[in-house]
Amino acid sequence: MTTLSDFHYIRPETTEQAITALTETANAHPLNGGTDLLPNLRRGLVNPDTLIDLSRLTALKNIIWQDNRLTLGAGVTLQQLIKEPSLQEKFPALVKAARSVAGPSHRAIATLGGNLCQDTRCIFYNQSEWWRKGNDYCLKYQGERCHVVPKGDRCYATYHGDIAPLLIALEAEAEITGPDGIRLLPLQDLYQEDGRQHLTLANGELLTALTLEHDKQYQSDYEKVRVRDAIDFPLVGAAVALKRENNRLAKLRVVVTGTNSIPINVDLTHLEGKPWSDESAEDLTKAIRKAVNVLRTTVTGPKYRRRVVMAIAKRLVSQRWQASA
Amino acid sequence: MNTTHPKPSKGPIGVRTPLVDGVDKVTGKARYTADISRVDALVGRILRSPIAHGRILSIDTSAAEALDGVIAICTGEDCKIPFGVLPIAENEFPLARDKVRYRGDPVAAVAAIDEATAEQAIALIHIEYEPLKSYTTARKAMAKGAEVIHDDKPDNILREVHQTFGDVEAGFQQANLICERRFHFAEVNHVHIELNATLAEYDPEREWLTLHTTTQVPYYVHLKVAHCLEMDESRIRVIKPFLGGGFGARTEALHFEIIAALLARKARGTVRLTQTREETFIAHRGRPETEIKIRMGMTRKGRLTAVHNEVTQRGGAYAGYGIITILYSGALMHGIYDLPAIQHDGWRVYTNTPPCGAMRGHGTVDARAAFEAMMNEMAEQLGLDPFQVRQANLLQAPCTTLYAQKVLSYGLPECLEKVLKASDWENRRGKLPKGRGLGMACAHFVSGTSTPKHWTGEPHATVNLKLDFDGGITILTGAADIGQGSNTMVTQVVSEVLGVEMGRLRVISADSALTPKDNGSYSSRVTLMVGNAAKHAAEQLRDILIEAAARKLEVSPNQIQCEQECFRVITDNEKVLDFSDAVRAAMVDSGTVTTKGTFTCPPEFQGDKRIRGSAIGATMGFCYSAQVVEASVDEVTGKVTAHKVWVAVDVGRALNPLAVEGQIQGGVWMGMGQTVSEETRYDKELMVHGNLLDYRVPTIVESPDIEVHIVESIDPNGPFGAKEASEGMLAGFLPAMMDAVFDATGVRADALPLSPERMSDWLEAQECN
Repeated sequence: MTTLSDFHYIRPETTEQAITALTETANAHPLNGGTDLLPNLRRGLVNPDTLIDLSRLTALKNIIWQDNRLTLGAGVTLQQLIKEPSLQEKFPALVKAARSVAGPSHRAIATLGGNLCQDTRCIFYNQSEWWRKGNDYCLKYQGERCHVVPKGDRCYATYHGDIAPLLIALEAEAEITGPDGIRLLPLQDLYQEDGRQHLTLANGELLTALTLEHDKQYQSDYEKVRVRDAIDFPLVGAAVALKRENNRLAKLRVVVTGTNSIPINVDLTHLEGKPWSDESAEDLTKAIRKAVNVLRTTVTGPKYRRRVVMAIAKRLVSQRWQASA
Repeated sequence: MNTTHPKPSKGPIGVRTPLVDGVDKVTGKARYTADISRVDALVGRILRSPIAHGRILSIDTSAAEALDGVIAICTGEDCKIPFGVLPIAENEFPLARDKVRYRGDPVAAVAAIDEATAEQAIALIHIEYEPLKSYTTARKAMAKGAEVIHDDKPDNILREVHQTFGDVEAGFQQANLICERRFHFAEVNHVHIELNATLAEYDPEREWLTLHTTTQVPYYVHLKVAHCLEMDESRIRVIKPFLGGGFGARTEALHFEIIAALLARKARGTVRLTQTREETFIAHRGRPETEIKIRMGMTRKGRLTAVHNEVTQRGGAYAGYGIITILYSGALMHGIYDLPAIQHDGWRVYTNTPPCGAMRGHGTVDARAAFEAMMNEMAEQLGLDPFQVRQANLLQAPCTTLYAQKVLSYGLPECLEKVLKASDWENRRGKLPKGRGLGMACAHFVSGTSTPKHWTGEPHATVNLKLDFDGGITILTGAADIGQGSNTMVTQVVSEVLGVEMGRLRVISADSALTPKDNGSYSSRVTLMVGNAAKHAAEQLRDILIEAAARKLEVSPNQIQCEQECFRVITDNEKVLDFSDAVRAAMVDSGTVTTKGTFTCPPEFQGDKRIRGSAIGATMGFCYSAQVVEASVDEVTGKVTAHKVWVAVDVGRALNPLAVEGQIQGGVWMGMGQTVSEETRYDKELMVHGNLLDYRVPTIVESPDIEVHIVESIDPNGPFGAKEASEGMLAGFLPAMMDAVFDATGVRADALPLSPERMSDWLEAQECN
């Protein structure tokens, strides 16, 4: 870690002011809890001229239920989310995913929005300035070449968020506020498969809230694989949401993280309408293998991450299938 | 915790005693090197080589020098004298000259008025290199025709060791079972939480240099700084403030300390040089990546007949402690079991990676792990219990090993009994549900190396006591308290001998201007050596006070009993002198009372000159340990978890059971980190682990419950019988956990760490078979 570079700091009071500041200030970057941003700032991976602190935007801190529809403000901290009784009751898997992020002191300040928008990661990127300079930088930042896929034409840095896969499996919608007002989109569409620019937010836009429907017929869960049960980002993670009707899978969604530059929503429609069996487990494995592209972006090798993401997804679906019997 | 107190004591010895500096640490009052404020301090920064091996063709500092606010720039030109902890292997320059040998080798350094200027200056220094072929594995560096890293070692081997004791061939012939296996141990780092830092103050008027620095060995830093700066040692003062851990990383002077001194002198002022976590990883000195081929012979009753051990260590770019590390890997094959014959072959290899060094259990850990793992595997093949195999090979103390080490106290049998019982081994080994298992192993370590690195003929340790008008006693010791509790230890020892309250005692340690020289905190030497010296000093002070009291009370000194701050005539309870009166009496005519205690290891404990290398591993006494680990393996993710450890350690005598328990837990825990997750990683020559996310030190979540059983064998050499208490249990965790994984899954691990990645490969291979 080195000293922080100089930057301007703005702390707007309302979302509108924040959007205006983001739109009108050159090279501005939003700041929530800062747990992802701060190490990157110190390593010189982002060099904003201005940080726009969103901590005073009270509208972003709401947790609101309207009938079965839940709205979570992007400024809700992970700790608040974990401690919220209605979430513990209705979305235990979401609480589990949030609790699996980093450590308690991070979660006390880290926000839902920040977690969803966290930067992609790569062993050739999350290094010091000296380290990267000596390696001719990389395609994600300042360099000409991707060291993971040397002939690649894009950055393959990996998305390692824990909460996005589960929210995508639960079909959450993202509320995006920008200079032209509010737009809603499936959370999946917040992401695009490019490690350098993995968010689809336009200039001046902010992720302000997430909404999702509680359907008690769904069984959901999240599991992350990591070496240490605190601090670590997921080497891979899998979120599952399924609906069992008698002896068949009415709905099955599996979303994996830590494999690509975005959370991957694996297409499993072909398994729906059938019972969960060894054969469908095999099909699930095949579908994941086909959908993911695990590369040498972490110190743990791709072979293991590929193998284990399939294994945990299979285990999770089996467990949820049995639990909903 | 089961503690036995063989000798009832009225003083603090044997009593659970909080560390004397503990409150300062937990309240934040303690000041560490980087906390020390100096308003005029310049900021130091180091420019490091971006390549792993190459010739320096040119260094252009002109643009950096022209930058406003840059006060001094140093390069290899500023220091032509190499350093190294061993006088026979000094081959590292604080700033590289001619060649760089690992990625991160320091090449230039800047002192500037602030961080931004220093960093800007670093970016303006232009260096041209001619890259050379580089090696990150020992195998490749040793290969014929490899590029030479140091000219004096054309085969890139720093030291080869070949030793044979007993009749190895005959031993293998007598064996009923011979097994051979290769083991791979990843390189690990200490990850001391306080980052490296030095505050160097140069006084240009008097040409004095004062260093506050993060070291376990202020004396060695003093010597090396004087040497490299070509300064008289009397003009230098080295102070070790509070220190946030050492574990061996700081048992030699390191480049950043000498660079800070060079910068301060050139700037004619004060320089603060703080290091990042990445730079602290680069300074390294960790446990080397090690390949071990071990061949072991046993009778059908589990009695060892012969061992052949081949150890190859990837040592990194410079010598450091390397020669000692490779010698230790053979030396501590001895001293734990009755070993009739052994051949030890070792290779310490230069590579283009950060230099390795001493790390808790120096040189012995991987070799012990391979040995114990082999014993466990052979026990299984012979249908014996792992405990039986240990019991079949116990030493009969007192004895002398083939390596000329003396074993006077030997609590290993009791350690084995304790963990066997506590873990309910007999009812649980092999009987836990699938995926869960129990494993065991033993280990030992020296209580200080009996031969200092620099032969001076001086005592091994010196402690001074000063008693003055106020009745306060100042303990002056050069011993570096690095968190292990040496300040508390000397306080307890002096308090015990003098029969005074600990509150009367102040410790001043590790400041070369005030405290007597001490070799430093390494090889677990401090309790035994400094403890004995403190005891010696206190005994002299006690004699002075008794004599003064006797004079005052008009009796002969042998009629005086001294305890609880009272000097009493044995035959007449009415005749009493309290402590302050005794002090006043002692000061008559003499003034302030000072005593000096020393400790010297007798020559018979310093190895046998006829055995080459036997100075390493020679000690006054060994600490012994046995442990049982309960672990589980997730067959889907390959994740290995340690759930519970029962560890029994023969520490001679637990001077402070509270501190001993903490040290033992720390030792076990560090072994756990090496076993389950820690490893350095290089992608080609790039260090990719240089942060605490990618170098995976376990968190509290991974920390098993560690149940400590203290065994007290009362060593005749130790102060009050004490031996080492913080290294001798580390190595045992590795093979015990490997054995537990075997019990859980049937997989015999032959490589560490047992990362999910590796474990899952093994489980898959097992399924395929």
